[in-house]
Amino acid sequence: MKRNILIWIVFLLVLSMLNGCSKNSKDKNTFTFATWAAGTELEEFQAVIDKVNEEAAGEYKIEVLSIPSDYYVKISTKIAAKNSPDFFWLTQELISKYAKMGALADITEQFKHSDSLTPDMYYEGVLASAEYNGSYWGLPWIANPIIVFYNKTMFDELGIECPTATDDWTWEEFIDICRQVSGKEYKGNTVYGTIIDGWPNIETFIWAGGGDIIAKDGETIVLASEEAKKGMGYLQTIIKEGLSPRYAEVASLGSNNVWFEKQRVAMFFGGVQDNFETKVDKMDESEKFEIGYAPMPVCDDGSPWSFDWTASTVMAKSLEGNDLAYKALEAVTKTFFEWKIVPPVKGSINNVIKINPKKEVAMETIAYIMDYARSANYIPEWSDINDKLWYNLYVSLLNDASFDYRSQMDEIQAYSQDLISKR
Amino acid sequence: MKKRQRAGFYFILPWLIGLIVFTAFPMLAAAYISLTDWDIVGNAKFIGLDNFKNVFRSEEFIKSLWVTFRYAILAVPLIIATSLTMAVMVSKNYKGMRIFRVIYYMPAIVSGVAVAIVFKWILDPSYGLINGVLSFFHIKGPDWLYDPDWVLPSYLIMAMWGAGGSLLTYLAALKDIPQDLYDAAMIDGANTWKKVKYITIPLMTPIIFYNLVLGIIAAFRKFTDAYVLGGAGKEGNFYMVYLYEEAFSHYRMGYATALAWILFAIILLLTIIVNWTKKYWVYSE
Repeated sequence: MKRNILIWIVFLLVLSMLNGCSKNSKDKNTFTFATWAAGTELEEFQAVIDKVNEEAAGEYKIEVLSIPSDYYVKISTKIAAKNSPDFFWLTQELISKYAKMGALADITEQFKHSDSLTPDMYYEGVLASAEYNGSYWGLPWIANPIIVFYNKTMFDELGIECPTATDDWTWEEFIDICRQVSGKEYKGNTVYGTIIDGWPNIETFIWAGGGDIIAKDGETIVLASEEAKKGMGYLQTIIKEGLSPRYAEVASLGSNNVWFEKQRVAMFFGGVQDNFETKVDKMDESEKFEIGYAPMPVCDDGSPWSFDWTASTVMAKSLEGNDLAYKALEAVTKTFFEWKIVPPVKGSINNVIKINPKKEVAMETIAYIMDYARSANYIPEWSDINDKLWYNLYVSLLNDASFDYRSQMDEIQAYSQDLISKR
Repeated sequence: MKKRQRAGFYFILPWLIGLIVFTAFPMLAAAYISLTDWDIVGNAKFIGLDNFKNVFRSEEFIKSLWVTFRYAILAVPLIIATSLTMAVMVSKNYKGMRIFRVIYYMPAIVSGVAVAIVFKWILDPSYGLINGVLSFFHIKGPDWLYDPDWVLPSYLIMAMWGAGGSLLTYLAALKDIPQDLYDAAMIDGANTWKKVKYITIPLMTPIIFYNLVLGIIAAFRKFTDAYVLGGAGKEGNFYMVYLYEEAFSHYRMGYATALAWILFAIILLLTIIVNWTKKYWVYSE
């Protein structure tokens, strides 16, 4: 009798252990949507999903899976376990990687033949981030191009001419303004023209000279061009002349944006989303300042541009060709255009003011720059190339203004080209 | 099997199944994965020993191994010496000593990420605690984690701060030393240093050996604070951080698993070497 009881206890223990490992089955019209949103953003996200589900009227249902930390580790692990979320957010740098790995559904045909959201509705520079090997792999749901926020109050008090909302100022002019500001005393502190601590990203400077990292063919590395090197030269000038706080000093105030909020730097390269307006509103009267907006300084060839960060919502490979899933994906993406700024589709720019009325003052710059916003040409080997760009080039220059960045760019080009040749 | 043996077997069966499913099977799987080209998402392609060959050709591997090895060589003896000294100090039964035992042990129970974030402030070049104290004496502190030459000292400071982790084991061993030996030494005219040199340390060698082995393993597996803090010039790129990034940033799980097996072999070799030296310096009855 005792033996039988023992056997049953052990059996139940083993069964409960194995049950924890089993997959849950779900309906074919229920889709899991993985997001990195957490806290307030997650509440807003859930509200968006609830709205989409309500409008779907039972045709499909989307369930939220929040992964607030180690997002990509969990996503890739779930995909490896054949338990991929049906939809998930993917940053632009990883689209080509995940597409090449076979994790994403090719949505090209559904996208092109859609009745309500087609490729030509998107800003070209933004949509390019979701394209790889001639196919589309996700629907971009946000654009966050870089603009220049500047302290207009400081400019006025220091007698410096402000850039305009759609200025075609050059990098030399930008650096010249930095020289006028840096080292001056303002509100009891020594101020700097701008702040560079690894942000803005390296693409910003490489493009500044008219150069690029990877050519449009996705196979040729053009990092060592004279144009790219000229752009990096602007970065070296800013660091060498002390126009930005030292790299080691930036973290002393917490993060780079705090330097702008505390009026220690005159100009800040920020994404349109950066919510300085709300922060300034909450400041004491004595600390408030007027924020001005300007586009990025133009490339050396005079062309306006802005680096744009975009994320897309992608569909799991298992759902490729599934029209119901695509319908749900499209519906939720279009609802995001009413939630996040900047909506990446043309004709929706005024949503920026509806979503964040405080951005009205920046609208002229935002509307102007969206036509020129673009993402980099990210290829599957990007993470390896980016490691070299960050550690061997950007950080080296941040730590030592006399660093021979030109030779390093040659080396990284050779390394990257070799990497691509092994495809 | 006898009835009682069978009953015992049934009781350990869940643990045994857990060991097979969650330890043995993953180890076998890892052994296979290290022989494949696998990007986590797609199918694993068998490539034999190519991952291992690529590891030994990689500059990043050499660099990360050197960073880790150099840290281990310095940190392990420092931690042992610090911990042992603390244990000797708090082993006395003075009033209030219990509070000090708690204070010294507390760093061991604090989350690694929290420690890293706090040290980010402590080591801040402009407003950090250490440079603040140094500036009081008109000394300009270094850039710590932002200066490649000072990254290693930064991590050694963090390591010494956490040295109280092995305090309990040293305290227990100190309590085990018979008081008679100290009494006899005192009668023979031995001073404090001679007591420590000829009684305390020799009788503590078994526990020192134990902590040495654990210390070597921990040093080579250093990850949490290194992942959070990094360090200028890749001087904070410890082996486990390199491994993690290869697996989850570069999606090279096969290569990362090969790195894991190489680390296992290195730690095993070092443990065997240390174990072999045991007969020369570890006291046994």
